[in-house]
Amino acid sequence: MPNARLLMTFPVTATSHTLAEYRARGGYGALEKALRQMTPQQVTAEVNASGIQGRGGAAFPMGRKWGVIHPNDGQPHYLCANADEGEPGTFKDRWILENAPHLLLESIVIAAYALEVRHAFVYIRGEFDLPYRRLAGALEEAYAAGYLGADILGTGFACDIVVYRGGGSYVCGEASALITSIEGKRGYPRNRPPRLTVRGLYQRPTVVNNVETLSNIAWIVDHGGDAFSKVGTPKNPGTRLISISGHINKPGVYEIEAGYPWARFIYEDCGGMQNRLGLKGVIPGGISTKVLTGAEIESLHFDSQEMEAAGSSLGSGGTIAIADGTCMVRLLQVMLRFYHHESCGQCTPCREGMGWLHRIIDRIVDGQGRSEDIERLYSISRLNDGTTICGMGDAAGYATSGILNKFRGEFEYYIEHKRSQFDGRLACPKSS
Amino acid sequence: MPEIFINGQAVQAERGQTVMEVAVAHGFVIPHFCWHPDLSIAGNCRICAVQVEGRSWVEIACNMPVADGLRVLTDSEMVSSYRKSLMQLFTLNHPVDCGICDKAGECMLQDYHYAYNGSPSESREPKVHATKFHPLSDRITLDNERCVLCTRCVRFTHEISKSKALGVTQRGDVSLIRAAEDHPLDDDPYSDNIVDLCPVGALLSRSFLYKSRVWYLEPTPSVCPGCARGCTVQIWHRKREWKLNALDPRHNASIERVTPLDNPQVNGPWICNKGRDLAAIFERPRAQQALCHGKPVDLARAIDAARTLIAGAERPLALVSNWASNEELEAFRRALGDRFRALYKHDCSPVAGERIEDDFLIRGDKNPNTAAARALFPFDDPALPLDGGVDLLLVWGEGFDFARVPPAARTIVLGSYVDDAHARADVFIPVSIQTEREGHYTNFAGVVSAFEPCFPKSDRVAHAQSLFAELETA
Repeated sequence: MPNARLLMTFPVTATSHTLAEYRARGGYGALEKALRQMTPQQVTAEVNASGIQGRGGAAFPMGRKWGVIHPNDGQPHYLCANADEGEPGTFKDRWILENAPHLLLESIVIAAYALEVRHAFVYIRGEFDLPYRRLAGALEEAYAAGYLGADILGTGFACDIVVYRGGGSYVCGEASALITSIEGKRGYPRNRPPRLTVRGLYQRPTVVNNVETLSNIAWIVDHGGDAFSKVGTPKNPGTRLISISGHINKPGVYEIEAGYPWARFIYEDCGGMQNRLGLKGVIPGGISTKVLTGAEIESLHFDSQEMEAAGSSLGSGGTIAIADGTCMVRLLQVMLRFYHHESCGQCTPCREGMGWLHRIIDRIVDGQGRSEDIERLYSISRLNDGTTICGMGDAAGYATSGILNKFRGEFEYYIEHKRSQFDGRLACPKSS
Repeated sequence: MPEIFINGQAVQAERGQTVMEVAVAHGFVIPHFCWHPDLSIAGNCRICAVQVEGRSWVEIACNMPVADGLRVLTDSEMVSSYRKSLMQLFTLNHPVDCGICDKAGECMLQDYHYAYNGSPSESREPKVHATKFHPLSDRITLDNERCVLCTRCVRFTHEISKSKALGVTQRGDVSLIRAAEDHPLDDDPYSDNIVDLCPVGALLSRSFLYKSRVWYLEPTPSVCPGCARGCTVQIWHRKREWKLNALDPRHNASIERVTPLDNPQVNGPWICNKGRDLAAIFERPRAQQALCHGKPVDLARAIDAARTLIAGAERPLALVSNWASNEELEAFRRALGDRFRALYKHDCSPVAGERIEDDFLIRGDKNPNTAAARALFPFDDPALPLDGGVDLLLVWGEGFDFARVPPAARTIVLGSYVDDAHARADVFIPVSIQTEREGHYTNFAGVVSAFEPCFPKSDRVAHAQSLFAELETA
């Protein structure tokens, strides 16, 4: 099947991120079109027609999020681009920020025009160095060229973009923690209700969208929402940026049209597994999505419904390929160390639960595991399911129960024999 | 008005209320650590989880807005099992040192453990240790191991006392409550409220530290005399049945601690630190010996001498205490009001370093009953000389400069605390203090609050209220 490309449409060179080259590719044409030929309502209608879903992990329809904002109530409301890409395995937004920062800026201005937002924010991950410099450079170019500021393109529309660098917290990638952090407070997620679209940044209605989601707006305005909805599958319109890492021959960021087969992606586009190893499993969308075995993933497509039916999700598009011979106990240990370290400590189940999970898995890896530990890991995961302020508690629970469900035998072996089933080297297939 | 159902029972709610508020107003028990009626919603402890009928998950009651027809279960099986698991987490790294914890006996964690969990820890991991006795201020010490990070104290300093003295540092399960460097908690005159607010034994008052188990104590409702606000307080002292002969008798009749008594008309659930230190006022050395010209005499002899002086006076003047209760002021006016020209005086004025006045509780007038005294008598300005023709001066209470006594005047002094000036008076009669009698104070806004006796009065000391009738001359 053909693989449509909406974002990765140009060869990346040393200067492909600059305004000159972006304009040469037709950049800021969508902004001109939106500001000069369309009303904000028309832009919103196109976005609604496109059916685009959030790319940050939750796949929430963008149009519905926007629909809650009521412009023209005379009070400010805000738009935030979530560039705090911290989900392990995910590095797709980084590609946009490094190579197409103007695409993001253009899309933000169009979105601000549609939502009648005066001030938009980009919350960029603190560890991002090159992406930040590229974005800051692009911001300067865009202001100088009149694509941002008090009077954009002479149309009288005004929009300023404020770039805010994060302090290195995973939880600040969660929308409410992100805006709390922008407000200068401790990056704690907020309780819902109220939703952010009712009371968000500075107590005003706020839309928080992922960088990749927003970046599609320029294309949608250029080609129309209907054209976008025809890309991919009817229920998953558009393309996904997939960042793949792990034991794979060609890791990197790929643009994949929804509905594309996983097997072809892994074995053809990514060049298959290193050393022709067997595919033991795949974490499809960042470590917070449930792991799938190699056999399961090979029959699946890039399709939210299909992934959900298989018990996982496309998440944030951060795929990790795991080769035969990988010790899943140690993999879970690494993941739980991460969750323990990144729990913000606000609500009890996650604050105490993550530490407990981590200490149990550490003990198992130390060879001190007990037979009841597996059930304990399960019960702590369940306790976090849907009972925490933000989704991180659930995410850690999914990750844990996902690995335990699929690879329980390895844990039992480890606990019984006080060592891993694997010798630490990846199994090499016999040369044929 | 929306009607909601809690455990099947219909209750009336008001629009904008949360399920927790409705439940508390109607007497349903939903456990909570972080929720407090006077603080913002934090929603972080999660113990207030309830189940909406028909849903297969639990939600927190403190952040759930009421909606007409909402059906909530507070004790369903799912809620109970969730609470039980959550209590396991609260005690996961808690030292469970109730035996040496001041909070034991009034600790929410303890209560909830017995009510909702009751089983030993399921954890086999070693406990994570944290700082013990972190000095948050000169008044408060923090045990981080006992802390459940409900952030009540943080929200108090940001929302109520506005000192912004506390915050959370670090992250995850090593999060710590700490005082900000540039807004030290020492400068917050309301800081001790966080000790009451703390649902566990993490924040400890240094003045109460290891002083007594709370179950040996009982509270007596009283009124703080520290300023004209007249905050209602509870004075905690040893229960009669727990009096110990082995203790110095003073410990059996001493103020162990002072806590606020929730009174929306006056102080809400808060008091300032001065109100916590009532012992510093009431436990000063007491004057308990009646004197005539500096010589010890019986109380009855001193009263007789005073009556004789009053009977023979031509131009008597009385300086009335504004620490006297409404009843005492009235008794004075009724018995001696015609005999004396009476002025009221300020017994206390602000001391160095004390916050004089703010827009929360603390008032500039450091006396409890100025409003009632002012209604009956004119004010004695200490800057002006007293009338030179006065031949008898009755001084009631403290704060009088005896250099102002007119040369020809005889003096009668009614006092409670040791003062060298008493020996120079013609008659000194010791009188009871607030913790030994009952009465009422009228605060600056006209609100009248009652106080009750905590300790018995000594026989060698008179109650001013009955004394004035005895001094009345026919």
